[in-house]
Amino acid sequence: MSTFLDSLGGWLLVVLVAAPLLAAAVLLAVGDRVRDRAAAETGTAVAAGTLLVAALAAVGAAPYDRPGTGLSVDVAWIPALGVRFHLGLDGLGAPLVLLTALLTLLVCWHLVRVRPVAGRVRGLVACILTVESGALATFTAQDLLLFFVAFEVVLVPMWFVVALWGDDTQAPRVGEPSTPLPGGERARRDAANRFVLYTALGSAVMLLGLVLVALRTGTTDLAALAYAGGAGMSTTTQTIAATLIVFGLAVKAPMFPLHTWLPPAHTIAPTAGSVLLAGVLLKMGTYGLVRVAVPVVPDGVRAIAPFLGALGVAGILWGGLACLVERDLKRLVAFSSVAHMGFVLLGVASMTPQGLQGALFANVAHGLITGLLFLVVGALKDRRHTADLEGLGSGLRDRLPRLGWLLAFGAVAGLGLPGLAGFWGELLAIVGAWNGEGALGPLARPLAVLAAFGTALAAAYLLRVLFLVWHGPNGRSAGPAGPAALFAPVTVGDATTHEVAVAAPLVVATVVLGLLPWLLLDVTAPIVRVLLAGVGS
Amino acid sequence: MNFAITGVQAVDPLALAPAIATLVTIVVLVLVDAVAPATARLRRVHDVVALAGLGVSGAFVAVLGVAATGRDLGPVAGAAVRSTVCVAGQGKLVLPSCSFVVSPLTLTLQAVVVVGAVVCLLLAVDGPGARDRSVHHLLLLATVTGALVLAGSRDLATLVVAFETASLPVIGLVALRRDAQGAQGAVTLLLTAVASLGLLLVGVAMLLLATGSLHLDRIAAAVGDPTLPDSVRVVAVAGTLLAVAGIAFKLSVVPFHLWTPDTYAGAPLPVAAFLSVVSKAAGLAAVVVLLGVGLPALGDAWSPAVAVLAALTLTVGNLVALRQTVAVRLLAWSTVAQAGWVVLPLGAVASGAPGDARQAVAAAVGYLVAYGVASLLAFSVVVLLARHHPAGEDHTLEAYRGLARREPVAAGALGFALLCLAGLPPGLVGLVAKVVAVRPLVDAGVWWLAVVAAANVALGVAYYLRWTALLVVRPTATPPTWRVRPAEGIALGMSLALCVAFSVLPQVVAGLIPTALR
Repeated sequence: MSTFLDSLGGWLLVVLVAAPLLAAAVLLAVGDRVRDRAAAETGTAVAAGTLLVAALAAVGAAPYDRPGTGLSVDVAWIPALGVRFHLGLDGLGAPLVLLTALLTLLVCWHLVRVRPVAGRVRGLVACILTVESGALATFTAQDLLLFFVAFEVVLVPMWFVVALWGDDTQAPRVGEPSTPLPGGERARRDAANRFVLYTALGSAVMLLGLVLVALRTGTTDLAALAYAGGAGMSTTTQTIAATLIVFGLAVKAPMFPLHTWLPPAHTIAPTAGSVLLAGVLLKMGTYGLVRVAVPVVPDGVRAIAPFLGALGVAGILWGGLACLVERDLKRLVAFSSVAHMGFVLLGVASMTPQGLQGALFANVAHGLITGLLFLVVGALKDRRHTADLEGLGSGLRDRLPRLGWLLAFGAVAGLGLPGLAGFWGELLAIVGAWNGEGALGPLARPLAVLAAFGTALAAAYLLRVLFLVWHGPNGRSAGPAGPAALFAPVTVGDATTHEVAVAAPLVVATVVLGLLPWLLLDVTAPIVRVLLAGVGS
Repeated sequence: MNFAITGVQAVDPLALAPAIATLVTIVVLVLVDAVAPATARLRRVHDVVALAGLGVSGAFVAVLGVAATGRDLGPVAGAAVRSTVCVAGQGKLVLPSCSFVVSPLTLTLQAVVVVGAVVCLLLAVDGPGARDRSVHHLLLLATVTGALVLAGSRDLATLVVAFETASLPVIGLVALRRDAQGAQGAVTLLLTAVASLGLLLVGVAMLLLATGSLHLDRIAAAVGDPTLPDSVRVVAVAGTLLAVAGIAFKLSVVPFHLWTPDTYAGAPLPVAAFLSVVSKAAGLAAVVVLLGVGLPALGDAWSPAVAVLAALTLTVGNLVALRQTVAVRLLAWSTVAQAGWVVLPLGAVASGAPGDARQAVAAAVGYLVAYGVASLLAFSVVVLLARHHPAGEDHTLEAYRGLARREPVAAGALGFALLCLAGLPPGLVGLVAKVVAVRPLVDAGVWWLAVVAAANVALGVAYYLRWTALLVVRPTATPPTWRVRPAEGIALGMSLALCVAFSVLPQVVAGLIPTALR
């Protein structure tokens, strides 16, 4: 097996990145003759193949002991800038590659039966596959500027997903029947524009930092930069570079107060878009912090770590407080993403092995859990055209038991119940912050305490959701009521077997990672040691 | 093979061959026009002659380019460039000073000019201005000749003459639309050109006064001399800034950009494309030859000024473009903003280190190449569409609504061009060009300008994406029947092929001018 994979070598990674892109190009080229269902099935088949290749590559890249090794392909691309087309899979990228491939497969499969509210499926699948390709390239890029290019690839297709397939047919809230219907092309366009402009600005600023690193060190090879650990750059240079790079990545992550693009984009996006935004795109920001910030400019990141940590904790608290009063369930899940990513940022800012391990773990866990929550909320929205907590009505447990239990599972996983995946990452991030005086200074302990308080907030707002929607008497009729009756539901009744089957892998993965966390921790541990070697202590 | 005539400096015809080819074509065109006026039956003859002339010119550029690359592999990299019309060295300068030099810089700019001219000519041959084809071709070839000489000119007199040769015929081209708006566009351009000529001449005169020489290499030596008295240096700096101000209108650099929107809207569309690529290439040629070859030693004086101009140009161009709804006006303002990107790297030469000017000029020319191919592609599609829709001010972006459903190839090409201009994948040529353009700034630590540039990336994305989005939404009106003429198809195919090729191999944009500036 291993020799077979060795002979394939890094070209497996080229297939991994190119296959979804080619499929997307073919889907775009064939025109509207392809029916929606066939397009979704094609996408599912390609995504399944990609997941298989990703799994093979993940096996072939073991053991995950050094950055940039395992499988790799390395071809000169732009010699004048020293840029190489260098893909490699290691312990940092492998979990996220698998997560990306899994989530893409699930959203494509979801589209086979569940149509988006607007638009044709063919284009949507093409955009989703392009996003997958860009994300996989980001997680395997071993060159500074190739990373940047891959980081930018997802921008345009994601913009299309939100702007063209966005779900704007939101019913007015219960009790406000006279409210004019929001949405339309304008709302979608606003949300999509806000997403793309924030991210484009962030990327452009990040680019300045990356170019500075490339100019001062004379290399763009990420493994070489990680081993150098900032050698050749003065602390001032490192601080400038770290500020620029972290700013750009923090927009994507997102970090408070740069998160304001996230709630509208996640809320307007179709279910597939929300799942990919939360499960894949946000991960690119935090992955970038661990890949191109901490090991490359360690002294610079250390200099700004207190700010990063403090803003991460501010995001935890702000997201939690916003969730406590948010009435729209989809926006609530979006704001909870801000809080969860705050833990990841805190873990990175601690610059300790536990913190970084926790950040990487929380990254994956958040992708699984929030992906599940967006699937469930999307299913609810398909039935009632609203995600308003009152509009959804109480007693979901009795009325729509399958959806109810999926929502309950997602909520308790999100609040970090021990034994599920959400627990370990946040625990490790808090432990890392507690021990993180080296980078966070005197703020370490207070930030850890505040973050722990944030987990209590998460429990409060998710239990509130369960109390309002899941629990309670089966007071309202199952059919649409009030202003929501203006719209014909996309689907009626409880979750279909298909919807449950789409959600099932996420539930299983959440339980497995919750019970056997070392499956993931063992993969990331060796590389975290290498990445932090330049940091010292 | 030098022809030495008594009293006249030796001329190397091969060095001047690209420009000679277009000059000969002009003469042939005049003869053809005398024998066979451009009537309906014989009109293709004029097109074929003009295209053949440009083709020969381009072939000479390619031959010289291959020769230059071959020679650069020799022991003295970059030293063996071709030069002609030289005067013998005197005093401290042992080497002869030449008025015309064929270097990688010259050849790159000439290649941009010729490719741009071919595409614009192809777009024009079946366009609305076709009845004036002999005039149109003559004016276009005259401009190209000026631009070709300008790229290689290495003395102030040649530079000024070539610059005007590349400027004045364009005014005639703009007026070819023969309506009120065309006349207004031409007059605006004429007034700007004349005023700028004054500035340029005064600036050049002051440089001559300060250094006592017309040849740029001697000027470079004179202003680089540490014993240069401050009083003389002040005159040289003032002359430099005036000359730059005189050239800046051609690049549409703010605040010398005011002619741009009216002229673009008033000119026939292929002429607007010509203005945005060939004319801009000529402007950049004048700037980099003057500043990069002649005055790198005064970088600490002109570089901050260029930096301010670049920041203004980027910001004003992008902000106004945000609100445009007429296609050609949006392109006009986007071309202003892109001019900011083109001159941006020149804002990082203040330190005066020898490599800085070369790196900055290479970056500026690299950005020009990327911008040029993307702009040609965008204009190719707009010309096609404008023929099927109300033209001019009525040709709003709404005409592009749902284009992807009717004409996927044209819509795909336009979307690709706009993403190249925005610098987003899949338009990698634009993205790499932006990396190349900000590199000198980051290297020299001009952070304020780098941050302004980064903010302008986001501004540019906003309106390029707005246009791209219109291509794919549901169309509202029934589309007109669509017919692509062969010449337009070739122009579109050429520019699309170049955009795609440069996106796959961005080394073309990033690796220009590897040797010292000549």
